[in-house]
Amino acid sequence: MISEKFKAAILKELKLSDFEIQDSTLASQVPGWDSLNHINVIVAIEKEFGVRFKSIEVLKCKNIGDLQKLVNTKLNQ
Amino acid sequence: MFQIDFSKVLQLLQFDKRDPLLFGSSLFLALFIGVLLVLFILDKYPKAKFLFLTLFSFYFYYKASNQMIWLLLTMAVVNYGLGVYIRKNSIQWIKRLLMLTGVLANLGALVYFKYTNFILSSISQFNNQPFEALPIIVPLGISFYVFKSISYVMDSYWEFFEEEHSFLDFVLYLSFFPSILAGPIDRATAFIPQLKNNPSTLLTKEDIGKALFLIVMGLMKKYVVADYIGLNLVDRVFDSPLRFTGVENLIALYGYALQIYCDFSGYTDMAIGIALLMGFRLMENFNYPYKAKSIAEFWRRWHISLSSWLQDYLFKPIQMSARSLKIFGNILAVAITFLLCGLWHGASWNFLIWGGLHAFFMIVSLLLKTPRKYLLEKSGLGKLKITGFVQTVIAFHLIMFAWLFFRLPDLNAVKEVLTQMITFFRPAVAPQFVEAYPVITVLIIAGYLLHFLPQKFYGACEGVVIKAPVIVKALIVTLAILIVTQFRFADMVPFIYFQF
Repeated sequence: MISEKFKAAILKELKLSDFEIQDSTLASQVPGWDSLNHINVIVAIEKEFGVRFKSIEVLKCKNIGDLQKLVNTKLNQ
Repeated sequence: MFQIDFSKVLQLLQFDKRDPLLFGSSLFLALFIGVLLVLFILDKYPKAKFLFLTLFSFYFYYKASNQMIWLLLTMAVVNYGLGVYIRKNSIQWIKRLLMLTGVLANLGALVYFKYTNFILSSISQFNNQPFEALPIIVPLGISFYVFKSISYVMDSYWEFFEEEHSFLDFVLYLSFFPSILAGPIDRATAFIPQLKNNPSTLLTKEDIGKALFLIVMGLMKKYVVADYIGLNLVDRVFDSPLRFTGVENLIALYGYALQIYCDFSGYTDMAIGIALLMGFRLMENFNYPYKAKSIAEFWRRWHISLSSWLQDYLFKPIQMSARSLKIFGNILAVAITFLLCGLWHGASWNFLIWGGLHAFFMIVSLLLKTPRKYLLEKSGLGKLKITGFVQTVIAFHLIMFAWLFFRLPDLNAVKEVLTQMITFFRPAVAPQFVEAYPVITVLIIAGYLLHFLPQKFYGACEGVVIKAPVIVKALIVTLAILIVTQFRFADMVPFIYFQF
């Protein structure tokens, strides 16, 4: 389940006023989330939640839901 | 009495250097009808069907290239073995070690076959020593099946497979004949799950229509547009640029941009259509690339299976590892990805420069992104349709400039073409060219017009083929074959992307 804080961090980085994000949403479906901007979104999420991802952890994410789960796991550690 | 000379049949089925098995050949058509028939008979026995398709794929590879069946088989065994061990192992460092072994082994094979002579000749050149090339034959399609193998090992490491699969499933994925020689570089995670549902030759009317539409389009693009323009214009001009005016060199360059698109996307259309007739879905590879408004968009539309491969297995890992460098991390990832993308196409400085040019365009665009966005918003130009048109024209001409390095054999030839364009342009020759070569002119103009038509047009054409009765479908295919025969040359022109 996508949290409000998580969604807000993404929208802020991509300068979007609103966009519906679900677990199954792919990064490429979000306006502005292209391959070059991808890293900025990842860094923004890391900063927002005070976590640090390993490369493989992010590369394994198939959709935004997986990224949210990764944040949750990091926060519970 | 009717007698069959079996020795001749056997001869026909053996590899013949002058007549390799290609999609457009009559032998392929005959064999493919036979394949469809066998698949139809074996429809309820998936294992037997997959075994038959794998054996036919190996035969196709032999008949098309006469090379390295053993290499393909060895790669299948090694990669499947590594994949299984990576997926079953729970110790992270062992998984990582196996993954690295797999990637290095695959790259090692690619480097050995494709780049040994290039590396040795560069070293000799550097040391001012004579160089004698080693007798290494580059196996046809190696760049494509090595990349398929690497993605398989990486996807195993990243745990992208939801279900386990058999060795036969993997060999069929690696050797699948429609895509073995020039892609699309399909992903095992998309191909293998299809096998669980037993892809069938008993297709819906829609799929038959789609497949036939793709095959007809592919035949037209390759044999009518690409080969005709290639042989009658591009080759003639670029074989000796100094004998032609600048304007003719420029027309040849426009011709080449169309030729390479029609050649490669025509092949892909046929590959996807042929696979679909057997019930398999391959990934999309082209999406009207010259409609792109930027170089980045071009790479989302051109050779999609390669660009998405590079993005997933090279660009993103570099980008992630270098994220502390901020924008320079992105620049580094773009530069490495495009230089290697250039080298993937061939062992030469020209390909490296071609990749370097695309990297340069992307980096400049990345650095100017914020001021460009600001300017377009403030001036209101961003909302105008003409802005999009201008962006497309600029992007297309940058791409076309880079194609010069891709097409010409060396830097000296590039220099000759550019010299003619700058110092000996002679625009008055253009009308004479149009008058002297009406077929080429019509093909180039029609080719570009068709490319830039709205996508709806193709959807409508596809819809007509889908809805058409069987007899009309047969007529369309026959008509296409007739047109192709009219345009085809005595010698088969190999697909450009076979050399990669």
